[in-house]
Amino acid sequence: MNASPTTPSVTEEAQKQPMKQKCEHHAECMKVIQAILDDEATDAEKDHFRENMDKCLPCIESYRLEKCIKDSLNFKIEKKPCPESILKTIISKINS
Amino acid sequence: MLVAMSETLTTNEYTDDLRYEVFNREFMPHIDSMYNFAFRLTMDEDDANDLVQDTYLKAFRFISSFEQGTNAKAWLFRILKNSFINDYRKKSKEPSKVDYQEVETTYNSEEASDTTYTVDLRADAVQELIGDEVANALNALPVDFRTVIILCDIEGFTYEEMAKILDIPIGTVRSRLHRARNLLKEKLKSYASSMGYDS
Repeated sequence: MNASPTTPSVTEEAQKQPMKQKCEHHAECMKVIQAILDDEATDAEKDHFRENMDKCLPCIESYRLEKCIKDSLNFKIEKKPCPESILKTIISKINS
Repeated sequence: MLVAMSETLTTNEYTDDLRYEVFNREFMPHIDSMYNFAFRLTMDEDDANDLVQDTYLKAFRFISSFEQGTNAKAWLFRILKNSFINDYRKKSKEPSKVDYQEVETTYNSEEASDTTYTVDLRADAVQELIGDEVANALNALPVDFRTVIILCDIEGFTYEEMAKILDIPIGTVRSRLHRARNLLKEKLKSYASSMGYDS
């Protein structure tokens, strides 16, 4: 999983350049952002992401949003333990 | 001839003891994940109970087709998903296949890919949502879209594992996930708006 090291930060270098307010290939970028967060990106995609991440505001915001949604799904949704009764039934049935 | 046969043979020799040992060691540790998956598919506690039981009994009966050392969790999830489609989906109150195809077609169109721009949702607003609200947004998705999100974001399966569980190509996993997430954002957006988190 991508932990904090890849979390976008507005670096000093990026601040010198005007940040892109519109992304002309956002649909493509979204695919890469998704692959990065799912740990499924190719090396080329990872490199491209690292080099360009801080330069495009819509992509930074999208990355943050996607990461936040993914984390919410993973950590906020309640995970219930399987009821004991099911365990007991399964065990008794396979032993009979 | 004998070599060719053994190469294509997928069943493995299991003694009775080994069947129980593999069942306990490889299958039982996933029962909580399986139960949660079953519950999120059926949205009903009784159906989830039956689905998990059926799946584990099937897994035991067909244990000889499980190859030790391969991913037991993915193998079990695949059985559960197939049981759900065959036995439960028909009677569930889920939107039918027709609705699903309609959604997929809509999201396949060029026009739809542009509309992804317009899901005006901020990370801060999502951060404010509680678990139940996120769960409700997820549960509001058609089951096939809900499934890919559960497998990827909650259970952490790789695209390749998801392709095997769902019997679809990896490219379809990727695009279905993309569409599922766009739909989820719309649902989250309406939650965030109704809670006043987006202003």
